[in-house]
Amino acid sequence: MPGRPPRVTKTEAIVLRYRRLGDADRIVSLLTPHRGKIDVVARGVLRARSKLAGHLEPGTRLEVALAAGRSMDIVTQAQGLDSFGALRDDLDRLSAAMYVLELADRLTVEHADAHGLYGHLHNALIRLARGDGHHLVVRTYELAILDATGFRPEFTVCLGCGEPVEASRAWWSAIEGGVYCSDCAGRRPGISPIDGTVLKVLRAYQSQPYEEAGRIRLSDDLAARLEATMHALMHAVVEREIGSARFISATRRARVNAEAVLELAEADPGGGDQ
Amino acid sequence: MDAFHRLPGIGPKSAQRLAYHILRAPEEEARELAAALIEVKESIVLCEFCQNLTDTSPCRICADTGRDRTVICVVEEPLDIVAIDRTGGFNGLFHVLHGVISPSDGIGPEDLKVEELLRRLRDRDTDVDEIIVATNPNLEGEATSMYLARLLRPLGLRVTRLARGLPAGADLEYADDVTLGRAMEFRQEV
Repeated sequence: MPGRPPRVTKTEAIVLRYRRLGDADRIVSLLTPHRGKIDVVARGVLRARSKLAGHLEPGTRLEVALAAGRSMDIVTQAQGLDSFGALRDDLDRLSAAMYVLELADRLTVEHADAHGLYGHLHNALIRLARGDGHHLVVRTYELAILDATGFRPEFTVCLGCGEPVEASRAWWSAIEGGVYCSDCAGRRPGISPIDGTVLKVLRAYQSQPYEEAGRIRLSDDLAARLEATMHALMHAVVEREIGSARFISATRRARVNAEAVLELAEADPGGGDQ
Repeated sequence: MDAFHRLPGIGPKSAQRLAYHILRAPEEEARELAAALIEVKESIVLCEFCQNLTDTSPCRICADTGRDRTVICVVEEPLDIVAIDRTGGFNGLFHVLHGVISPSDGIGPEDLKVEELLRRLRDRDTDVDEIIVATNPNLEGEATSMYLARLLRPLGLRVTRLARGLPAGADLEYADDVTLGRAMEFRQEV
């Protein structure tokens, strides 16, 4: 006879996000290796003397004890395992961390196994916190989680005829997630030429181990073009705007100067990059 | 009951209790409450400079010539001004962002009162030399403070952040790594 499920369970998790619940509580979204994404209730964490609050910040890896609740489990204990504190010292690293967390949130469903994705997210946070190039970390993470969730993009073979595509003559469809040769590109909607260097780097990132991929030198311009291609692809996959991708663009504008931000706001009162 | 239930922090039971209280109360009391609600909506505006809620613009703080006009404390919400002013330890000006950068909720810098702060620094409060960012010490508050620092430092302004550490009455055993690390980093001589 099967026993009753335990009233309190323990699991490792990474905090993805939270939202307010009432005056002092939060609903916290956790990514766990075995239970996938779960929403749990953290009581009293908005109070200044809460013992849980500091351990339940987005991007923290922790061990958490959960008591079974009626609709959601309730956090009874939380012990931080790694807070990746260095992320909070640099805006580029912090915005990249927000982006990788948001992608993990968007690409998972509740209570589905997420072992592979959990490992990729953990690795990305470690690499960002230790100061690896954030473009390298984020691009390799995007490709890894697309692979893990069944959305692996096709960079080498034409989606139309199945023949290998020469990088310098390739066409790209973000919606279909792959390349076309010039013969098959025809008048397909949503298709455009892709920069040959961008495609070569993406092929290398997809096929080589992380350490090998890190040897590729990226100019600022090439990094920006890679980012634009991958942001468009991720947008097509999650089928909605990725807020932290927009924030990354805003941090770039802020780097230029405040006057430029004001001029942009005056020229485009609606704001945004879309 | 539905109208009360839409208010923050009011659950279905509380909404029921409030609705029955109004039903049982004298008609005059209900009319006073309704009039007060309408008055708040009609007379409260945002201060044209600091964006705080006020019944006159500029607000009392911006109009007070006795305040230190070289420093602006940037806060998330109007209630944060009340909390900081209550300490008596700050006599400068304020600026309310009306939120915090929260990309996963679709809130970016352009949704906050950041442009208003920039215009204010360019056009009115030109004597300011320090901006204190008093956002909450969480991921979104950190992102907001670092974004403002990146924006404002090239203007020659000193951008500071509220100190982070252990709250009064805290227990070291339960402190998280970031808080304890910051408390150690910014320790003071006794």
